[in-house]
Amino acid sequence: MVSLAQDVAPSSRSGRLSAEATWGLIMLLPYIAIFLTFVLYPVGYGLYLGTEVKAYQRIFDDPIFLRTLANTVIFLGLAVNLKLMLALLLSGFFVHERRWIRWLSFIFILPWAIPSIPTILSFRWMLNAEWGMINSLIFQFTFQDGPGWLLDRVYGLGSIITIHIWKYLPFWTLILVAARLTISKDLYESADVDGASGLQKFLYITFPGVRNMYITSTLLSTIWTLGDFNSIYLLTGGGPADSTQVLATLGIRYAFGMSEVRAGVATIIVALPFMVPIVVLMVKRLRGEDR
Amino acid sequence: MASVSVEAVRKRYGALEVIHGIDIQIPDGEFVVLVGPSGCGKSTLLRMIAGLEEISGGVIRIGDKVVNEVPSKDRDIAMVFQNYALYPHMTVRENMGFSLKLRKAERGVIAERVKKASQILGLDPYLERYPKQLSGGQRQRVAMGRAIVRNPQVFLFDEPLSNLDAKLRVQMRTEIKALHQQLKTTSIYVTHDQIEAMTMADRIVVMHDGIVEQIGSPLELYERPNNLFVAGFIGSPAINLIKGTLRRDGGRNWVATEAGIDLPLNGNASGQDGQPVVYGIRPEHLVPADNGGLPVTVSVVEPTGASTFVYADLSGAQICGVFAEHPGVNPGSRMTMMPRLDRVHLFDAGSGQRLAG
Ligand SMILES: Nc1ncnc2c1ncn2[C@@H]1O[C@H](COP(=O)(O)OP(=O)(O)OP(=O)(O)O)[C@@H](O)[C@H]1O
Ligand SMILES: [Mg+2]
Repeated sequence: MVSLAQDVAPSSRSGRLSAEATWGLIMLLPYIAIFLTFVLYPVGYGLYLGTEVKAYQRIFDDPIFLRTLANTVIFLGLAVNLKLMLALLLSGFFVHERRWIRWLSFIFILPWAIPSIPTILSFRWMLNAEWGMINSLIFQFTFQDGPGWLLDRVYGLGSIITIHIWKYLPFWTLILVAARLTISKDLYESADVDGASGLQKFLYITFPGVRNMYITSTLLSTIWTLGDFNSIYLLTGGGPADSTQVLATLGIRYAFGMSEVRAGVATIIVALPFMVPIVVLMVKRLRGEDR
Repeated sequence: MASVSVEAVRKRYGALEVIHGIDIQIPDGEFVVLVGPSGCGKSTLLRMIAGLEEISGGVIRIGDKVVNEVPSKDRDIAMVFQNYALYPHMTVRENMGFSLKLRKAERGVIAERVKKASQILGLDPYLERYPKQLSGGQRQRVAMGRAIVRNPQVFLFDEPLSNLDAKLRVQMRTEIKALHQQLKTTSIYVTHDQIEAMTMADRIVVMHDGIVEQIGSPLELYERPNNLFVAGFIGSPAINLIKGTLRRDGGRNWVATEAGIDLPLNGNASGQDGQPVVYGIRPEHLVPADNGGLPVTVSVVEPTGASTFVYADLSGAQICGVFAEHPGVNPGSRMTMMPRLDRVHLFDAGSGQRLAG
């Protein structure tokens, strides 16, 4: 083995690169420069900002921070899992090859395709407790005042989770439709002959068939949902009284609202011990090292 | 076990009709092969019998029961798919026991039946493996095993051997046949390989463009093809078909080709003088003759050991002869081949139907 390696790469010994390798290095330089400037430097600087212990004392002493941590866990747990379960369910509908279902899927994809700022803001107006469309409708039909959707922690988080799901459900549904399409139709026919019910076909064929993709999606969605700033910021702004903040929005609030950049960074870094394993697992799965 | 009866069955996809009224009666215990070229509707018919495809017209019975509206699972059939359709996340054992498990059979019963089937098929060493850990031939066996475990009324096979290599295909077809002799379950087997059909079938159904061309035992189809299509489809190498005009003069009959060759016929051939016909003679029914046969120029000689194939030119028509003894000819040499008169098939050139006689 050793002698073979020496045979193959004699030029590197002599300290000279072949023309090919030299050009390869030259072509790589711009990328390396961009990577250093725009990836390594910001991340490194961010981590450096997060090295101050006082910042962590500051945030852990803040009751808002602890509630935010709880909100984040609730948001991630409910939004990610509800969203993917719904996506799995809906993918069973959109996987059918009918023309009208194809058309419906174009409409269905819209929330994901259009920019969030106008849509989430319009939801904010619709959910306004006094003059929003939803409470007006509730009043017209029941002669009761509707709840203050964005004026309370529970309703606020509920609204946030609902809007988040509304926005990202189409994407995950399509991913799971694609996963379902990889399952051979023969298997379902064979199960029909074997006497499986719809539920049994789901349990024994569909779910095992999409299981890997479902888990990968859950991991990826957890990472992305942690970074979802828009749904919260545009809907409740973290209010009322900071009761619906999550880590992403609270970090921004510390950093820009209160000019405490280090506390802001510390807020985000708190999530790293949970996120790094997920990212590692995720990368492993995507490289197929997990099978 | 049960008989299967297909009565005036049709299949339409929207406005397109792909099966145009098919009648087949299959008695209990018979092994029937549906054969025909690609796209003729074999799979569609089989899938209608299986309940995987709706029946657009006509009636299908299994036993005495009309099953048109009966869901697949209640038809008491088992099907072996072309790609085997093994459940990828179940072991061989689980695959084989799955249908019994769904039917809430007792564990002991399932274990026993799976054991028996795996012994018959030599699958014992593989019971704990997953399908992707098996070779093509082993998967094929598992698919068979899954069908036998059920002990159904009818076995349905859709080209189960087409993904195997030639040698394994020959071996498996013998095994399937042996299995049928042991279990005696009514079987319907789809293939486009006429040799598979000839070797396995009790009776063959030759299909073409959504209709049945002929139903009969392999020998019947070989000896008395009803029409040009069946004649051309059954037999390998294919039958020689030569166009010509029927001539009758006194007691003598022959077929005159356009090139001026007279093809000899029996005295009792039917048809009218001057009728355009197609003269059919199988390669194995030509014998080398010293004189009085068809004068041909040899173009290719293929000795296979057991017999020798001679491809030759008969005044513009390509014909093939198969001889037990090497006739000692080379490409370019001339020879005469004599048709065995009792083996000549005569078809009407217009309708393609066999002329009696
Ligand atoms: N879902 C469908 N919609 C429209 N036409 C179809 C459909 N399924 C099959 N057909 C048509 O029906 C005809 C018969 O198809 P079928 O699959 O039964 O052929 P086959 O004899 O099994 O051929 P092969 O040997 O290639 O498997 C074909 O012409 C095919 O194009
Ligand atoms: Mg087919």
